[in-house]
Amino acid sequence: MMKGKKLVALLLSLTLCASLLAACGGKSSSGSSASEVVVNKEGYPVVSEPLTMTVMGPDIGITKWDTMPFFKTMEEKTGIKLEFRNAPNDSFETKRNLVLASGDYPDIFFGGQFKSADEVNYGGQGVLLPLEELIEQYAPNIKKILDENPDIRKSITTPDGHIYTLPKIDLNAVWYMGPLWYNGEFLQKLGYDKVPQTVDELYTYLKRVKTEDPNGNGQADEIPLTSTKLKDGVRMWLMSSFGLGLEDIYSDANDKVHYAFTADGYKDYLTFMNKLWNEDLLDHETFSQTDEQKKAKGKNNQVGLIPDYYAYFSYGGEPSDKHPMYQPVASSIDGTPVIPKHPGLAKGAFAISSSNPSPEATIRWIDYLYSTEGAELLAKGPEGTLWDYVNKDTHEKKWNEAPNGEDREEYRGKLTPDYGIVVPGIVNEEVNNGFTSDFDKWITQQNEEKILPNAKVPFPSVYLSESDQQRVSAIRSDLNTFVEQMEAKFITGQEPLSNYDKYLETANKMGADEMVKIYQAAYDQWKQN
Amino acid sequence: MQQNGVTAMPVQGVPLKKKNTLWKRIAQNWELYLLIAPAFFYFLIFHYGPMYGIQIAFKNFIPAKGIWGSPWVGFDHFTRFFDSYYFWDLLWNTLSISLYELAVGFPLPIILALAFNEIRTGFFKKSVQTVTYAPHFISMVVMAGIIITFLSPSTGIINHMIQWFGFEPINFLTEPKWFKTMYVLSGVWQGTGWGTIIYLAALSGVDPQLHEAAIVDGASRWQRILNINIPAILPTITILMILNMGGILGVGYEKILLLQNSLNMSSSDVISTFVYRSGLVDAQYSFSTAVGLFNSVINAALLIIVNQIARKTSENSLW
Amino acid sequence: MSVAAVKETKTDKIFLTCNYIYLTIALLLVLYPLLYIVSASISDPKLVASGEMWLFPKGITFEGYKMVFQNDKIWMGYGNTILYTVIGTCVNLIVTIPAAYALSRKDFVGRNFFMGMFMVTMFIGGGLVPGYLLIKNLGLVNSMWALILPGAASIWNIIVSRTFFASTIPRELQEAAQIDGCTNMRLFIKIVLPLSAPIIAVMALFYGVGHWNSYFSALIYLNDESKFPLQMILRQILVLNEISADTAGAINASVAEAMNNKAEVAALLKYGVIIVSTLPVIAIYPFLQRYFVQGVMIGSVKG
Repeated sequence: MMKGKKLVALLLSLTLCASLLAACGGKSSSGSSASEVVVNKEGYPVVSEPLTMTVMGPDIGITKWDTMPFFKTMEEKTGIKLEFRNAPNDSFETKRNLVLASGDYPDIFFGGQFKSADEVNYGGQGVLLPLEELIEQYAPNIKKILDENPDIRKSITTPDGHIYTLPKIDLNAVWYMGPLWYNGEFLQKLGYDKVPQTVDELYTYLKRVKTEDPNGNGQADEIPLTSTKLKDGVRMWLMSSFGLGLEDIYSDANDKVHYAFTADGYKDYLTFMNKLWNEDLLDHETFSQTDEQKKAKGKNNQVGLIPDYYAYFSYGGEPSDKHPMYQPVASSIDGTPVIPKHPGLAKGAFAISSSNPSPEATIRWIDYLYSTEGAELLAKGPEGTLWDYVNKDTHEKKWNEAPNGEDREEYRGKLTPDYGIVVPGIVNEEVNNGFTSDFDKWITQQNEEKILPNAKVPFPSVYLSESDQQRVSAIRSDLNTFVEQMEAKFITGQEPLSNYDKYLETANKMGADEMVKIYQAAYDQWKQN
Repeated sequence: MQQNGVTAMPVQGVPLKKKNTLWKRIAQNWELYLLIAPAFFYFLIFHYGPMYGIQIAFKNFIPAKGIWGSPWVGFDHFTRFFDSYYFWDLLWNTLSISLYELAVGFPLPIILALAFNEIRTGFFKKSVQTVTYAPHFISMVVMAGIIITFLSPSTGIINHMIQWFGFEPINFLTEPKWFKTMYVLSGVWQGTGWGTIIYLAALSGVDPQLHEAAIVDGASRWQRILNINIPAILPTITILMILNMGGILGVGYEKILLLQNSLNMSSSDVISTFVYRSGLVDAQYSFSTAVGLFNSVINAALLIIVNQIARKTSENSLW
Repeated sequence: MSVAAVKETKTDKIFLTCNYIYLTIALLLVLYPLLYIVSASISDPKLVASGEMWLFPKGITFEGYKMVFQNDKIWMGYGNTILYTVIGTCVNLIVTIPAAYALSRKDFVGRNFFMGMFMVTMFIGGGLVPGYLLIKNLGLVNSMWALILPGAASIWNIIVSRTFFASTIPRELQEAAQIDGCTNMRLFIKIVLPLSAPIIAVMALFYGVGHWNSYFSALIYLNDESKFPLQMILRQILVLNEISADTAGAINASVAEAMNNKAEVAALLKYGVIIVSTLPVIAIYPFLQRYFVQGVMIGSVKG
């Protein structure tokens, strides 16, 4: 009796709700972009009448964007006022997806962190506007870059032929991930005049670090090679010695696509790592420690080889040439290592939504950041704050002191959003002219000597169709877990390497080879275009 | 005091009399509807209002088409979840972590609350109570950082102690068999003091006259705990137990993600972390809703079963 | 209290001693990590991460606290959090306590309907997107009420309070009052509420702490940074994005330097920030403890 009553009541309240919702479930009409805004096609300001747009971007918590001199200068220059709806960087994607899903989105995404799948999804659904026509008509700087670099155009054009997001472009970028760094002090103590060149030499170095007490404290507390979960570069750089182009999907010299965790050299990589583990040359806390703990070991002068973006982040001290860069070592398997090179662009940094009142004005606004002046403004803040021109024609610049003796980098973070996040724009030699320190020059020299000779972009940024993407997502949600778990087990010896064939079989059963086929097709398509 | 609660119970079994009596009862207590009205409208608007969203578990949610306009896919998302290579591992890990947590974490606050209740109000009591309560406020990120630091095989204090006693250091963080213990005990450390609060409140409702009478009868402190204090908090214990059973698959992802690594994955991966990882590739609202719905069905079933048991064996139950 | 005044017997003394020992052990076990946090907050982060600092502060530095106290955003967040916590908790109590009392009354017709209706929401929810749409349609996006109204009550807390009312408010009290012609409203306000200080204190604490620690609804519903609560600000400062292969393509020197800088700041601030941000909620607890003394409420009314 009670139950029946309850059920009726429940149904009643449910119907009530349904009717309540019918009233408010309507989709917000996406504002058609037939703009009445008058946009100046050339020169500044972009709009003569004031125009306000909303922006969403990832905030790293230093300064509110609306007080940043960068945005103020842009507003003065273009006449476009921006209102910000930022989200903290670590949860940016959550909020961005939510506003996109609920139809309550801003006019512009700045630093949008769109992945290829997002572009295909939201672009295809009409939430993000196609930009290629706008670029053609209103964005001379972007057009010039795309015309000069057809590969970039190819990389940002989705399969339906549209460009939905703009990238950050840095044509001088070299590293796919931060390299590994030798402990310069150890090398010296052990009498090395050049860094190890082969897998065997690397092994010998690590072994000597372990046994010969190079930090001279009388304790065998040296950790030859350390890492946090191998994801910090150790996996990628060591894989390259065994012919694996990247720690995920990559293409080889014969245009064949591979998945590193099932590719040919992978077993050799595991064998080598297992040897390092067994002889205690690879930190036994590799899989459990935090980044902070890893760095503390480096600063404690215990580590012989450590991954990081710059050596001084981990070893401490000032930027210097004290700690030499790792040179990807050659193994017997593949004459020379295959070194992944940065593709020179980071996609998904900027997008215009369908609610934008004036896409034309917006594209003109962003186009400025792809000119050298705009890029300078974005990278270092307005002229006269942190820097001044020495020679305006060559774009040679010099640093100014930050006010109140503040750290220059920290102060820069208050001037511009280009601090800790990926923003749309370009970095070229002119932008950095005058800012190149001795350290930068040393890095360039190390790159030219050790990385660039064998470097190759491991895989172009291809797009998958929606159904392929869904399939890949489904495969990856299990496969990624499986291969990483098995990698750790093989390396630590919990799983004997004799089971490698069984592992391959399972990985393929979970869809590894199917995924490779999907990517191969997309790659062939990319090649053809 | 307690007898009152007892006599109040059998009302549920009272046969409903004729209609006019029902109306009379409603009319007599009309103000109670006023009291419950805010909660009623709150649940109606903020919970039943958005409830139509549950349908995306059976749809392929496409933002631009909205919830109503997205195409139906039937049980596709559920099948994808059930067919996952790790489905049974996930289910087992989630259940075992939850039950372990319940077995260890549920009785401890009760014991601690009873212990607090026995000592005189004063500086010591205030200190213990406040100190045990404080860990509740440590954020997960820092908590996980402390766990990793303390348990590190090379530098952690716990392993230093183990070595000091002459044993080999233990890789708590990477040995799958230690993960659940680590997870549960750190949770106990963080949550026991906080968990006592509700029992302390329940204990404060005990009539001191009962104790005085018992003392006159020569009952020891231990006997009074057993016969007065525990019965007094039994309703709360039962209700919390039922509610906990209704959350058995709800092991959160935040702490686990922070403590998880490739080596302990086989015992640390739970449903919520799996969903979280799937969502990293792209926002999979439909899939996560489907998994959520699966969890709810299991949770609700367990809650109903436990509630029925409680109803049959005691006077306390949710309905 | 009269109970305590009675002379303890020998068994009771042994029992009490054991009890004190038990509590002292509990105290020490919990205290150590807390002391560790305090020490860590004024130690050199490098020595903390390397495990050299294990009890007493090492490489003492007050930089972390200095940075916290100089950060305007933290204080702005503090102000917001206090505001949201106070108002939010009041709303919670106004919704929860009366509803729980009504549900505790056996003679309340429809009790099971309401219980059932509320409990369904424990298991079925619409999810993020419709929730967001609702808030948007109510015009609450970017307002304080978006953080307060959607969480105005928790079924868990209603049930717990209901259990308290059902097991501690004497039924004769109600009957007597009703015979005297006292209305339900008067009964609730004049008699039940004064008897319920412990549960009100508990609920205020549960809800209050919930508001104090919450950040997700702020993340979802607030756009304007000057409205962000403390936890959002802390997340911005402390949570580090993991550098992995997925994001690697996006890293350049300036991003890497900024991230490294941020990691160092986070290491320095991490522990101090915990202390600064939780001290008020910890400090409030001893004041609430006086409601949790056995017999204090019942005794006061009857006496």
